Amino acid sequence: MLTRLLVEPFDLPFMQRALVEALLLGVVAGVVSVFVLLRRLAFVSDALTHTVFPGVVIGYLVAATDGVVWGALAFALLSAVLFTVLSSGRRVTEDATLAMLLTGFFSLGVVLVSRRSSYTADLTTFLFGRILFVDSREIVETAVIGAVVLAVLLLVGKELVLRAFDPGAAAALGYRVAVLDLVLNVAVALVVVAAVKAVGTVLVIALLTVPGATARLLSARLPVVMALSVAVACLSGWVGLAVSYEASVDHGVRLASGGTVVLAMVACYTLALPAGAVAARWGRRRVVPAPDPYPRRTGVDEVSG
Amino acid sequence: MADGREQPGAPALSLQHASIAYGRSTVVEDVDGEVRPGSAVALIGPNGAGKSTLIKAVLGLVPVVAGRITVLGRTPAQARRHVGYVPQADTLDADFPVTVAQVVLMGRYRMIGWARPPAARDRRIAAEALAAVGLSDRARERFGTLSGGQRQRVLLARAIAQQPRLLLLDEPFNGVDAVSQDALLQALARLRAEGAAVVVSTHDLALAHVACDEVCLLNKHQFGFGPTGTTLVPELLRATYGGQALEVRGDSVIVAR
Repeated sequence: MLTRLLVEPFDLPFMQRALVEALLLGVVAGVVSVFVLLRRLAFVSDALTHTVFPGVVIGYLVAATDGVVWGALAFALLSAVLFTVLSSGRRVTEDATLAMLLTGFFSLGVVLVSRRSSYTADLTTFLFGRILFVDSREIVETAVIGAVVLAVLLLVGKELVLRAFDPGAAAALGYRVAVLDLVLNVAVALVVVAAVKAVGTVLVIALLTVPGATARLLSARLPVVMALSVAVACLSGWVGLAVSYEASVDHGVRLASGGTVVLAMVACYTLALPAGAVAARWGRRRVVPAPDPYPRRTGVDEVSG
Repeated sequence: MADGREQPGAPALSLQHASIAYGRSTVVEDVDGEVRPGSAVALIGPNGAGKSTLIKAVLGLVPVVAGRITVLGRTPAQARRHVGYVPQADTLDADFPVTVAQVVLMGRYRMIGWARPPAARDRRIAAEALAAVGLSDRARERFGTLSGGQRQRVLLARAIAQQPRLLLLDEPFNGVDAVSQDALLQALARLRAEGAAVVVSTHDLALAHVACDEVCLLNKHQFGFGPTGTTLVPELLRATYGGQALEVRGDSVIVAR
């Protein structure tokens, strides 16, 4: 029964491609979403997903489907730089600036796409993606962008964690905080670019926030959080695709695949809520916040050696 | 090494009539004095006196607009690698998923460099630093689960792991329990014995007496810089704190925050 639901749909080539795309996105977005969580960048990510939208439209108008990635890429890098500069200046409160950019860029995209005769169909594609129609070239694009993002995060991962935890100390150690911020903003923007064809500019925000938040509910250890986040993102991709296929083919209920994947993610989060609460209570009982042990206790030194 | 050791006897920190500004407004004016290796100076003054700004200037994070600040014979920005900074623990997110051991290791990141994981040597140095503040047995716990005083000690351990020649502490004793305060003082004394210079901003005059051999009285400009015994005196404190000082029986001064 479970095999029929979770494995059989992927006998079909288009479902296989969709699954590969979902898993690739799951790995990259799973990792990036942990940094989004640590830096509390959910709103910035949301803004980025919207500012990439006009790039997608312009790319499409200029060079049809082939242009989408390049248009998205150009606008992603542009807005990553813009956000970094604006948030370091603090001229305007960050919220107001982001809200303005978000709606401004988004409207630009809507205005541009509204000039086409196939307005509604095009808009839907750009906003919600079409994961069932990804071809192998798009999968390669996702893989390349994902590899770049992961390589960059591997290079500066520990510095990004330091910056998220204690920006003052990072600056005192000589790190350029604005540069680290730019790196992360670009990484987020690249995930948006990679995901835009499959899940669209609106739903990608779920990929960038929910896996990390879910994983954090279940663990407070960073490497574990990272692994769980990737697992949640990939599992949701798989289950979401399977369920939407099952519903559409066997029950005649059309479920949009992208949306179903996101719903699977939110379901993971909902399940993790009580599990996290239990884990936290268990943790509290285990770690006794006792009076300061210094200097009496001479326990085993756990980091030495 | 060309960039390496300063000549023996040279100050760890030298302030030469330094003025510091944020944007257009000057925050600290004309601070002048020296901190020698192994000595400790308390920065004393009311809130908003510019103590944190002076510390940031020594880190090279805010510009010196007049005069000069020299750290280990170099500009503040060049010397950063050898300067440890301990922020107030309660400014950090207690929910952040890092362990105590990871926080202490952060002090090694500059030496480790990009793209590399910490080596065994870095872990050993971090473990020693954590032992120096008496928290070895908490290494695997999450930073946020510790008490305020313990978190402050972890941040000191992080700075110790950096093996600094100059250590800057911003209000390290605020809201810290007696046990942690003792642990902090012991660790600072050890660092000084090993030749590091220490600058501590604090409201606590008694601690300044215990922990430091010199004080710098600061409120926008400098009201005194010298040995604790001759500088931490009622007249100068009264001048530094202005209307915020309350007098008791003529010769002693109670300082209001």
